[in-house]
Amino acid sequence: MSRAAVRVPLRPLSRILAARRRGEDPAAIERENLRRRHEQMRDRTRRRAEGRLLALGALFVLAFFVVGLRMGMLAASDPQEPRASAGGGSAIIAQRADILDRNGRILATNLVTNALYAQPPLMVDKEAAARELARIFPDLDEADLLKKFTSGRKFIWLKRRISPEQQQLVHDIGDPGLLFGPREMRLYPNGRLAAHVLGGAGFGREGVHAAEIVGVAGVEKTFDAYLRDPARNGQPLQLSLDLTIQAAAERVLAGGMKLFGARGAAAVLMDVRSGEILALVSLPDFDPNSRPAPPVRGPAADSPLFNRALQGVYELGSVFKPLTIALALDSGLVRTDTMIDTGGPLRWGRFTIRDFRDYGDRLSVDKVVIKSSNIGTARIAQQIGAERLRGFFSRLGLLEPTPLELIEAPGARPLWPRKWSEISTMTVAYGHGIAVSPVHLAAAYATLVNGGTLVRPTLVRKEGPVAPGPRVLSPETSRRIAQILRRVVTEGTASLAEVPGYRVGGKTGTADKPKERGGGYYEDRVIATFASVFPVPDPRYVLVVTLDEPEDATGEEVRRTAGWTAVPVAAEMIRRIAPLLGLRPDVEQGAPDRLTLTSN
Amino acid sequence: MSYLEYHLRSVPGGPRKILYLNWPLVLLLVTVACIGFLMLYSVAGGSMTPWVLPQIKRFALGMAIMFAIALVPIWFWRNTAVLAYAGSVLLLLLVKFVGVTGMGAQRWIDLGFMRLQPSELTKITLVMVLAAYYDWLDLDKTSRPQWVAVPVALILLPTALVITQPDLGTAILLVAGGAIMMFVAGVHWLYFAAVALLSAGAVLAVLYSRGTEWQLLKDYQYRRIDVFLDPTLDPLGAGYNITQAKIALGSGGWSGRGFLQGTQSRLNFVPEKHTDFILTILAEEFGFVGTISLLGLYILILFFCIASALRNPDRFGALLTLGVAASFFLFFAVNMSMVMGLAPVVGVPLPLVSWGGSAMLVLLAAFGLAQSAHVHRPRRMS
Repeated sequence: MSRAAVRVPLRPLSRILAARRRGEDPAAIERENLRRRHEQMRDRTRRRAEGRLLALGALFVLAFFVVGLRMGMLAASDPQEPRASAGGGSAIIAQRADILDRNGRILATNLVTNALYAQPPLMVDKEAAARELARIFPDLDEADLLKKFTSGRKFIWLKRRISPEQQQLVHDIGDPGLLFGPREMRLYPNGRLAAHVLGGAGFGREGVHAAEIVGVAGVEKTFDAYLRDPARNGQPLQLSLDLTIQAAAERVLAGGMKLFGARGAAAVLMDVRSGEILALVSLPDFDPNSRPAPPVRGPAADSPLFNRALQGVYELGSVFKPLTIALALDSGLVRTDTMIDTGGPLRWGRFTIRDFRDYGDRLSVDKVVIKSSNIGTARIAQQIGAERLRGFFSRLGLLEPTPLELIEAPGARPLWPRKWSEISTMTVAYGHGIAVSPVHLAAAYATLVNGGTLVRPTLVRKEGPVAPGPRVLSPETSRRIAQILRRVVTEGTASLAEVPGYRVGGKTGTADKPKERGGGYYEDRVIATFASVFPVPDPRYVLVVTLDEPEDATGEEVRRTAGWTAVPVAAEMIRRIAPLLGLRPDVEQGAPDRLTLTSN
Repeated sequence: MSYLEYHLRSVPGGPRKILYLNWPLVLLLVTVACIGFLMLYSVAGGSMTPWVLPQIKRFALGMAIMFAIALVPIWFWRNTAVLAYAGSVLLLLLVKFVGVTGMGAQRWIDLGFMRLQPSELTKITLVMVLAAYYDWLDLDKTSRPQWVAVPVALILLPTALVITQPDLGTAILLVAGGAIMMFVAGVHWLYFAAVALLSAGAVLAVLYSRGTEWQLLKDYQYRRIDVFLDPTLDPLGAGYNITQAKIALGSGGWSGRGFLQGTQSRLNFVPEKHTDFILTILAEEFGFVGTISLLGLYILILFFCIASALRNPDRFGALLTLGVAASFFLFFAVNMSMVMGLAPVVGVPLPLVSWGGSAMLVLLAAFGLAQSAHVHRPRRMS
């Protein structure tokens, strides 16, 4: 401190001495110098600060001109007339396209209704208005309304949707503060029909004069952008569903579910060539016009919103056997008459594979399917090998979510052993240790029996003939499998599936339900499935029916197997829908034998 | 020159101070506020209630606060700047825990008789603390990195707290206001260029990352950007305000439809019409002439502030005046750009015109500081 401070005034010494000699005061000179230096410094910062201020001023002026110019442009633009009286934003209304079934019948359309709101400052008689409103809408409370009206709020929504009658009644109150905003709403005229496919719609952003309808589930959500696309000009979306068949299937399935006391049920009817789904039922269902809120407690699978046909990923059991056998036949490992060792029980490591009944020491390959032998299928799977079986299932699309056009589809991921060991190969071969949805199974069966070309399930109607997919099986194998499936009905576990004239083939599957918390399977709860194809020998449709926890208590013992539950339901369904599908009943050879002579 | 070197005798004292206030500035403020009263009267459909009377009362209270602050010597404000800043940051922290949630954001502390919005308070205290900082700092050090880091931290601390409320509008005002102060204080322009380049890069990165694996914003945030760029994409949602506001401005034309004759705004087409979108009323009823006049008044206020700062050799006082001017500028520039579709919709009111107490009181208090700087500026002995 001292050096620096002292050194300045001493500089240069000769000058100080000279000044002293002239009789001046060096200290005063020093002070003067110091002052000048300070002033210089201040001027420098001053100039710099003024430069900065100039820049700031320029910024202000620039902003003035930008904003002013923009104002001028807007002021010069053509004044648009108020969009008020027309019910503002009417251009956006009626933009969501209808949804039709394959025959052009309406599944979802729009209806203009009104929303009711109040503007208390405009209201004349608040007490009377509250009283009248409470009378018109029983769910509104008079005291509550009055409190809202007098709370000083400027705008109050009263009702989201009101009927024309209610609108008239409110109109008759005559209060200028009660106002209507047009609301377009989505209407599903068929109620619960195809609820899980359609999903439902709700309001998106809501303004006073219009509200946006957005799909919340099902095809409404999958095709949300498509349905709202202004470029499509309201052209409807046509689904592959057939309203009549869907209705018949739902009715039969509901009856079957009730009869067998099942918790739930699902059915999928698919065209084996195009993969178009003609009916997709999941019970219990809901009304998409007033879609219930998702459950907050309990398993999601118990909610009516749960689409069992698509999201219900279950172990389906023996219905997998024809798939395994098809691969074995196709790769030339076995022929239909090759004898397979079915002596049991089959022990593999710490696992034991049993059959429902003892079928003796050996069965031919076709009998393995017809009698539904787990041991026989496991032995064939051993011959096939893990890699090949896995590759085959993968080609059939059983290991990935289905490409179905429902927003829920990607979430329905099949479960299968990540570590595909030899024992998994053996159990997966007869449908245990692998869980897929009924839609998966239907698509796989369609591939199996349509001549062996891969099928992609779809809910959108296909125009014209569909080009066959890549080949998975030879036509010969496909034909043989269809015949084996037919024999399951005529001489095997699915005898109740016989529908005269439609030559139904199929395979049953009964799988124990796994416990929700893990730790094994229930002994008295099953998933009963029947995968059927008709008419053999050239099947055109595949129908999968699944019942969740069915019980047939009419006999001496409680019967739960698919042959006694899912099969009769499917048979009844086919009896109803086959004529609707335009199939001609074809009385098989030998039928005349059953004619009885009544007189001779 | 710092306040220690004041020729104290040249600073007016006692009631005489009132004569030395920046009266033209006071007059301008009153004029602008009167325009606001007229507009609120019009929005209410030609009625003093529910908006005009409370607004007048609040303005009167604001003016009283302004005069009170103006008469307190500027060195008092300089000495309390850091304390005020720390206090407002504490309040911001407090609002995170005991704040009342309003309009989807937690911004208020309920004091019983009024609701305090600390983020508004922060706008002043940040200006004060920055002015005090640059007054204290040696001029030579202004551009050194470590001394640039300090004000940056001072700005970013409250900004971060405000952003989490969330209140994007105030956060933008804080950052922009702080940056303008640093610029005026003489921080080297290369810093600003670097920040500008970086943010331009960030904007590009955000836009180009869209749709890729590593996109930086949520989808809905991108949709907001889309709507800003083209409001017709969402005519019922965010775009609605802007579209209707533009229609209102267009329907006003050059000279407007006349007082109380606006249709667009009063028929409820423009939302928030008595708060953030009040400019549309002015534009509709008084047209281009009306809006450009209001803009002119605002610019005039700014230039009176700049003139006052130029005549003020006290660095703290000058910087404070400029900071207040910058905040004021940002208020109306952001609001006007927003209404005219030049900027995205963020909740920033039109200063002194929009309905709303907190903002007006804080603004008038800020002008009180500028007045104090003006009254107590050091004068050369002639």
